Amino acid sequence: MTEDLNQLDNDEFRARWRGWLEANYPPEWRIPIIFRVAGDEERRWLRMLYDAGWRAPAWPKEYGGLGLSLEKQLIYHRELEDFGAARCLDSGGVLLAPVLMQYGTPEQKARYLPPILKGEELWCQGYSEPNAGSDLASLRTSAVRDGDHFVVNGQKIWTTLAAFADRMFMLVRTNKAAKKQAGISFILVDMKTPGVTVRPILNLAGEDELCEVFFADARVPLANLVGEIDQGWTVAKALLGGERIANGGPALSHQAFEVLEQLTAGLGLARDAGAADRRAALLCDLHDLTALHAEVAAAAIRGSIDQAALGMMKVLATDLFQRVSEEILCIVNEHAGVLEPIGIAGVNLDLRKIFMVARPSSIYAGANEVQRNIVSRMLLGATSR
Amino acid sequence: MTWRLDTDVQQMLRESAQAFLADTGGPQHFRAVRAGDAGFDPATWAQMGELGWTGILLPEAVGGAELGLAPALTLAEELGRAISPEPFVAASVIAATVLASASGEAAGALAQDLASGRRSVALAWQEETGALGAGGFETTLAEGRLSGRKVHVPAWHAASALLVAAQAADGPVVVLVDPAAEGVAVSPTRMTDATQSAEIRFDGVRVADASVILSGEAARSAIDFALARGTVALCAQLEGLANALWRRTADYVQQRVQFDQPLADFQALRHRMVDLYAAIELAGASWRAAARSLEDGGGANRLAVHAAKARCSDTALEMSRWAIQYHGAFGYTDEADVGLFVHAALRWASWLGNATAHRRAALALHERGEGIG
Repeated sequence: MTEDLNQLDNDEFRARWRGWLEANYPPEWRIPIIFRVAGDEERRWLRMLYDAGWRAPAWPKEYGGLGLSLEKQLIYHRELEDFGAARCLDSGGVLLAPVLMQYGTPEQKARYLPPILKGEELWCQGYSEPNAGSDLASLRTSAVRDGDHFVVNGQKIWTTLAAFADRMFMLVRTNKAAKKQAGISFILVDMKTPGVTVRPILNLAGEDELCEVFFADARVPLANLVGEIDQGWTVAKALLGGERIANGGPALSHQAFEVLEQLTAGLGLARDAGAADRRAALLCDLHDLTALHAEVAAAAIRGSIDQAALGMMKVLATDLFQRVSEEILCIVNEHAGVLEPIGIAGVNLDLRKIFMVARPSSIYAGANEVQRNIVSRMLLGATSR
Repeated sequence: MTWRLDTDVQQMLRESAQAFLADTGGPQHFRAVRAGDAGFDPATWAQMGELGWTGILLPEAVGGAELGLAPALTLAEELGRAISPEPFVAASVIAATVLASASGEAAGALAQDLASGRRSVALAWQEETGALGAGGFETTLAEGRLSGRKVHVPAWHAASALLVAAQAADGPVVVLVDPAAEGVAVSPTRMTDATQSAEIRFDGVRVADASVILSGEAARSAIDFALARGTVALCAQLEGLANALWRRTADYVQQRVQFDQPLADFQALRHRMVDLYAAIELAGASWRAAARSLEDGGGANRLAVHAAKARCSDTALEMSRWAIQYHGAFGYTDEADVGLFVHAALRWASWLGNATAHRRAALALHERGEGIG
């Protein structure tokens, strides 16, 4: 695409993006909240975007992205959500790419960024370990230098979609003498490396997207180190704006609320006073979260947003999503205990999954309790001991 | 962590308000007004008139500042922070909005008195407890005689001017009534925000034609707009109050030492303070969205107004409960200033509709097709 999408006014940009989605988005994927494109479907989706000139809204143009202004990035995400598109992880494009752009060597950028852009190589994120979740810096998977390779030993866990990934970007301990954050490095690993094995974990939503990944003397070229040795903690913090802000947004809550409204109508509950009061509260919560998110997004566009604000938004957004999903299960009575998708009130729904999909949102990307700690340090200062 | 963007006018007003209220507002002033019988302090009101606040929404032609809603809300926020018992919302937002859309000598003269801070004005619209917005009126104006009953007339005091909404033969009207006139019976009640409100009965009160300041559709839409603006201004006061109370509580828990550490070290308390802070941020964003929806005029999205009043009322009350809790036993004494904020919150949260009522109204609008934004 040669033209600059940033030159379009917002309405035209929105209309054009929406028009493309309507003409091209596979209808079988339009199951918001529940469905996530993964594996070959994710490759296909990213390739479709690439071919049509809609891939990588936050990437600068020099790397082949759209280079959209933050304002247009937010419109881009909002339209996808309103359209009811399936979730898509895109770990390579969202999480790894900003790290490579900031810290990668020219060779690393040339080797890894184009296949991410074209959907040819999928990545997974190897951060959490069995004993390093919210306290990520206590990770123990080690990488010991041996000639021109690292030898990696240890275990990662909760690695989303590792089974479909071609490569992993991971944090490893390269210096056991240094204090917690100081001895960590950021490396890139081919999942086909001998000594790397993946074991999917069945989760409460009935999915096996989360995996354990084991490393037994896996040899990784030194050239796959990103940034300086022992500086991985700093490297891992590189982020692009749009996705972070979209994460604290009301999209999932909106979609879940629409399901709640469909069910309310279908079940004839519109006049149930108790249900109406609960629905009214959720409606107002949704309104207010949308209003606050718009202010935060506008502040981010001006360049004046901080970690604490994003942490607060993450807590608010995930909390509301959970409460809407809980209300859905509340009004369906006995159906809340049905394990499989059922037709209820004219809607085909996997109720268990709606409830369960909402659960980890308050755990991943920094548990909400950790987010509250971060925000409290900003509001009340550090604790005295 | 703040993303408020003040215009120059708002910034100027905010600074001037903070300076003035540091001397003239706050707990001490609240206690002084509470100790009096009137529920109103004419001297402070007159000073606010000199500052241009009482006529902030009124046209320049009557001596108003004509600054529009957004600056008025900045003031409301600061007045809330200072738990001001002055009738800013009742007179300078609600009554002023009605007066600004009226013409004629009587309305003009009263608007001038309001703009200068010589008088305050109350609009008597409500006839049932729990009513949200003005529907029809049981109070009637027929053949120059006003009869009926109004409840919860806000910011009442003996020298207040009185506007009354009523039903005439050919539609609603707003009339100017002398509270001392024959046939007017006022029963004032002391409110928790140091003001008084009144139940007022009208028994064939004579109303001259010149005292009918608005009639028909103009009267209906002026009352509706006035109440919507007043509701949002009250939201701004509530959010300002909650904000001030959060700050006070944060200061207290950082100073108060128990078990050899500041209360602010305890994680249970830290997390609660974060959640309260987030609720206050939601409250601010909510009333600002409501204010924008009113400024756009036209098909005003009242859902935003309902959501805002629900949020701001709930947040101020929740902050109030935790402020008492975190101040410990001292927080339960009248000597502690937190209790004054809690008292003001009780009144402001319930006036013009409490959270539950507004949430129901928001849902009703949504189910008739209003978007969430």
